[in-house]
Amino acid sequence: MKPRIAILAALGAFIVGLSVATFAELKLFLPPILRGAVVTLQISFWSWLLFVSLSCIAGLGRWQRNLLVRWTATVYIEVFRGTSLLVILFWLFFVLPEFGIIMSPFVAGVLGVGLNFGAYGAEVVRGALTAVPKGQREAAIALNIKPRNFVVRILFPQAIAIMVPGMVNLTIEMIKATALVSAITLVDITYASVQQNQLYFRTLEIFTIALLLYYCFAQFVRFGGAALEEYFTRHLAKRR
Amino acid sequence: MTDFAIQFDKVCKAYDDLDVLTDLDFAVRKGEVVTIMGPSGSGKTTVLRVLMTLEEIQDGVILVQDEPLNKMYKNGDLVDADKAHVRKIRSKIGMVFQNFNLFPHMTALGNCIEAPMYTKGLSKQEASEEAMKLLAMVGLADKANQYPSQLSGGQQQRVAIARSLCMHPEILLFDEPTSALDPEMVGEVLKVIRDLADSGRYTILLVTHQMGFAKEVSDRVCFIDGGKIVEENIPSEIFENPKTERLQQFLSKVLEAR
Amino acid sequence: MDWRWDFTFEVVMPRMIEAAGVTAWATVASFCLALVGGLILMLLKQHRSVWISRPTTEFIEFIRATPLLVQIFFLFFLLPDFGITLPPLTTGILAIAIYNSALCAEVYRAGFEAVPRGQWEACVALNISTYRTFRDIIIPQSLPPIIPALGNYFVAIFKETPLLSFVAVAEIMQISKLIGAEYYRFTEAVTIAGIFFLVMSLIAAFMIRQVENFVKHRIVR
Repeated sequence: MKPRIAILAALGAFIVGLSVATFAELKLFLPPILRGAVVTLQISFWSWLLFVSLSCIAGLGRWQRNLLVRWTATVYIEVFRGTSLLVILFWLFFVLPEFGIIMSPFVAGVLGVGLNFGAYGAEVVRGALTAVPKGQREAAIALNIKPRNFVVRILFPQAIAIMVPGMVNLTIEMIKATALVSAITLVDITYASVQQNQLYFRTLEIFTIALLLYYCFAQFVRFGGAALEEYFTRHLAKRR
Repeated sequence: MTDFAIQFDKVCKAYDDLDVLTDLDFAVRKGEVVTIMGPSGSGKTTVLRVLMTLEEIQDGVILVQDEPLNKMYKNGDLVDADKAHVRKIRSKIGMVFQNFNLFPHMTALGNCIEAPMYTKGLSKQEASEEAMKLLAMVGLADKANQYPSQLSGGQQQRVAIARSLCMHPEILLFDEPTSALDPEMVGEVLKVIRDLADSGRYTILLVTHQMGFAKEVSDRVCFIDGGKIVEENIPSEIFENPKTERLQQFLSKVLEAR
Repeated sequence: MDWRWDFTFEVVMPRMIEAAGVTAWATVASFCLALVGGLILMLLKQHRSVWISRPTTEFIEFIRATPLLVQIFFLFFLLPDFGITLPPLTTGILAIAIYNSALCAEVYRAGFEAVPRGQWEACVALNISTYRTFRDIIIPQSLPPIIPALGNYFVAIFKETPLLSFVAVAEIMQISKLIGAEYYRFTEAVTIAGIFFLVMSLIAAFMIRQVENFVKHRIVR
């Protein structure tokens, strides 16, 4: 998908117009929202690292023949996909301290989002691994290629190309989902907007800015994802 | 040492309840070019797949150059083969697939040097030099840096042949190498196979529906049906003087379709 | 800290069961609205006029790229500014429905596009009316991909209802939060909420698989 530059430009113009219209108060409520955006980005970054690593580990686990490994991965995936993210966050932040495990809101937020999306990502990874044609393994056997080399040099490069679109979508979903960390006292874009709204009652402007910020993040990821996809599928160029 | 490259002794293979090979006895001498033909589902491809260890057999013995494929001798006893033994036997066999099975994320050259580099431990330069020679042999030296998706089906299959030759097999298995090709590309692939057959350096086992080519290139044709060899003979006898009724039926159906 | 069964049964369970009703109602209502809304959005998106299809496409894209939670807040705080005062539950259901309409529109579109062009052409060649083409040929073939996907969105909506707790709707999450605040213990209430969601999702996933198999075998052989 190509970036919607025209749309972004139109929205940019809209923001400028909006800021002119509400300039006086914008000075008051914009900085806290932007500080919230920094928190959103930080949480997104760390959660993304956790989510991608967990996806790979659990996805590979589901794909293993070893029953114990496979079952552990399956239980993880089912539990963290089946429960709602908000419940997971509450559990990490309010219940675990009752068992003596206390963590900062930031750590709980990253852990909750990462664990939740790792479970979704694991299915993407597993799907990609099974989507590589069976003939590839047979060719590797016929060429006497060692199983480890097959996995690293033939299976993974092809599986990564297949999983990129799914992971890009999940990354956008994940950034959106970080809005929920406002429930555990983290002042991200969403929570900052609610706070500023309570102070200045400029609902339309404040929440439009919040939505636009998320929208821009999503478009940015989509744009990067498209470039990544092109890089990984460059060998599939059509015949001249 | 016998004169045989491949021997099947009462080999049985079944998928769940479906018998594919039943007590198959079959032997190929060194340097011989043998075509296997038969109706679909007759087990002809399975013969190649069990040889390449892509499938396991339930019963019987397969000998490759007098060594058992799935067993090995250890302190005088016949035990299940370990990985090293299987790899040693496999290194004598190369296989060309119906759907080429090239690695799509590697160039033609990359496909050819992958196994020599990572399995045999050749340096990139050594592997590339040899691979270029073989690519030139199949007429694709100028396509070495193209990805499979940029090549036609016939070119892809020729790369696949060069790729398997890079591992210096003594036995070559061709599993319907031209079935997935457009008609105008069949010739270029058959020419490469014919050259390999004529060179006399390889023992070749070929599964194909190209009757004319089989007749011309093979030393012997085996007609297989129901997991057993029904008739085997020199090509001229098979095609012009079929003895069994099943082979006669098969040939008349195939010729009718022309 | 330990698990207290008396607390679980006497305090937590009765209130949770009541809250489960709210969650169920929010899920079903949002889902039904989203089914219809998705259909409308899909039709608008396929509209002949670019002036209708293009903005619809962008609207769908925008809704899909922004968090549902912010959309809920947006409606919740903004509607009163326009003189529309709705109960929080209704506002929440509306927000969830709009969000999922955008997703369902894509499901419908993908479903119809999955029917090969040749089917349309065959219908034209056989001189079948447009209405009967849709009723007898296109819809039966597009259902197998659509139904399981909609089922997945039903589960997704169910898991989105906890967001309503942000606007103080008395659904499961809000109640467990309240219980936690009242008694200074979160363990039982939040864990039960988690188990509730897990069990319901697993059951739903199982049912979706059954329906999927049924649809696959019955509608298209």
